[in-house]
Amino acid sequence: MTLLAIESATDMVGVALIRDDAGEAERVHLGGRAHAELLAPAIAEVCAVSGCTIGDIDALAVDRGPGLFTGLRVGVATAKALGQALGLGVLGVSSLDVLAAAAHGRCGTEPARRVVSVVDARRGEVFAAAFRFDRWPAASGPIDPASVRDDRLEPIDPATLVDWLVGIAAEAGPVVVVGDGAVRYRQLLSGHPSLDLDLAAELSAPPPLALGRLALERLARGAEAPAPGDLVPDYRRHADARINWEQRAPRVPGAGEPGHRRT
Amino acid sequence: MTAGRRRVPNSVVSTAVPIPPASTSAAPVHRVLGIETSCDETAASVVDDGTVIVSSVVSSQIDLHARYGGVVPELAGRAHLELLTPVLADALAQAGTSVSGEGIDAVAVTYGPGLIGSLLVGVAEAKALSLAWGVPLVGVNHLEAHLFASLLEQPDLGWPLVVLLVSGGHTMLVEVTAPGRYRLMGATIDDAAGEAFDKVARFLGLGYPGGPAIDRIAEEGDSRAFVFPRSLPGDGYDFSFSGLKTSVVNTVRKHPDAVTADVAASFRLAVVDVLVARARRAAADVGATALCLAGGVAANSLLRRRIEEACEEDGIGAFLPSRALCTDNAAMVAAAGWWRLQHGGASPLTLGADPNLRLVAAG
Ligand SMILES: [Zn+2]
Repeated sequence: MTLLAIESATDMVGVALIRDDAGEAERVHLGGRAHAELLAPAIAEVCAVSGCTIGDIDALAVDRGPGLFTGLRVGVATAKALGQALGLGVLGVSSLDVLAAAAHGRCGTEPARRVVSVVDARRGEVFAAAFRFDRWPAASGPIDPASVRDDRLEPIDPATLVDWLVGIAAEAGPVVVVGDGAVRYRQLLSGHPSLDLDLAAELSAPPPLALGRLALERLARGAEAPAPGDLVPDYRRHADARINWEQRAPRVPGAGEPGHRRT
Repeated sequence: MTAGRRRVPNSVVSTAVPIPPASTSAAPVHRVLGIETSCDETAASVVDDGTVIVSSVVSSQIDLHARYGGVVPELAGRAHLELLTPVLADALAQAGTSVSGEGIDAVAVTYGPGLIGSLLVGVAEAKALSLAWGVPLVGVNHLEAHLFASLLEQPDLGWPLVVLLVSGGHTMLVEVTAPGRYRLMGATIDDAAGEAFDKVARFLGLGYPGGPAIDRIAEEGDSRAFVFPRSLPGDGYDFSFSGLKTSVVNTVRKHPDAVTADVAASFRLAVVDVLVARARRAAADVGATALCLAGGVAANSLLRRRIEEACEEDGIGAFLPSRALCTDNAAMVAAAGWWRLQHGGASPLTLGADPNLRLVAAG
């Protein structure tokens, strides 16, 4: 199998190509918010260094969020169009799961019992999920983070995050915290010795290879990759205007408006 | 745009290789797929030789944005992402082409101007198709695409011609000396004409989009009931509509019992008078063989009638594209992309979106 993984949920944009007979390749661009410019060339590059063509790809995975809206849309639009053109389904994977899988894999012989992925949601909030890896070392292969996840489905503010993390640590010991949300709120989190931030910088963004490996494991366990048209990002927030609309009194003609002109 | 670039510590294979062009093939380009997502229409179209529309699919999001009285950028971006797969599938199927892109020689896409979150969806899709099908990518200026819309229905238009491009985002007069050779003669210094229609329609409680709503009700009103100002800024060909909009608001506040149809008709007449006067003078000054309309406001029935009358009086051609080609569509993008490929070549895979892209004066 030749799987292409597309990662664009945070400031980083990257891709990984995993061929089960011929190794792995990864291309990552950090910062700059130039997802649209960099993603397609990165796909061409990983194919070139792997000695294969786009046509050799027979599985597609993409980070479906939560994360940066514009970044997600570039990645998901690219994955959908590739899937449609190549006749392939596209497996969407949570950014929080990828971060947890990467953190868990990185912890060596003494893996953390608790990992929390924190993705910067902007506007002073984060998306977060806690993972219980108590079963380690597992007798039967790797643990899928999704099976041990306690998800905060709504964005939360940093103070709520700290309370939540400290509560988890009090119950289960040190918590490894990763993701760009952990980097942004590092100062707030570092006041608590039970919160382990050693991996936060290295795993500020979900690594494309971790995304690809997790997707391959899921496919191997029988996960179905949905048709490209069925894939939707995990936004976790209404589009701004809808929120405003629902909170506001009925419109008066001529009143201030959120609408944008047509081009 | 540039971005920091480095390997992550766990990357297994990652060597610096030059970014390849979208395609190195120099095969003749016959059939082009166009993609348009700059605002609130998700569109895809297959066009042969820049002139023959094989298929053209437009999915409008008007219902989605109507309650807000204007396009909401985040909603538009999300809708494009959901619509792009079915719209592309339809456009290819109607052209008798499979999703493997058989027979498609290039992919053209609008990369600006427009809403950044909307443009990015189409650009990402077009680049993926270019990669998957191994065909050239070409970025198209949305304004240039509007100018090409007229050529789709009338390939033998003579030169030079003057195009009045009027939409919700733009109001401009462009001299076209040959395909791809433009001179911007004038533009609005404040609101676009379509924007004025939207704002006045919202003020009058007529709904969204404002252009069609006002056009409909104005047919039943007395256009001489109110005299609104005709602003002709400067000695050139510029436009201004914000004073007109304010005047409508003040008039209605002063006469709360004014008949809405009369207000709408008087407002529409003021807009059209200004558009026609400036376009007519522009055409005369450059010795244009014809005057063309483009953009969503070109669907306005009074504007169409008045342009036709004016051109007949002046003895020049009037070209009024069908409504489907005035409003945003992907056939015009494919046509402009086809022409660009003949005269300058493909775009690199690093193509980004430019929300403020301008029409580059040439010729
Ligand atoms: Zn337009």
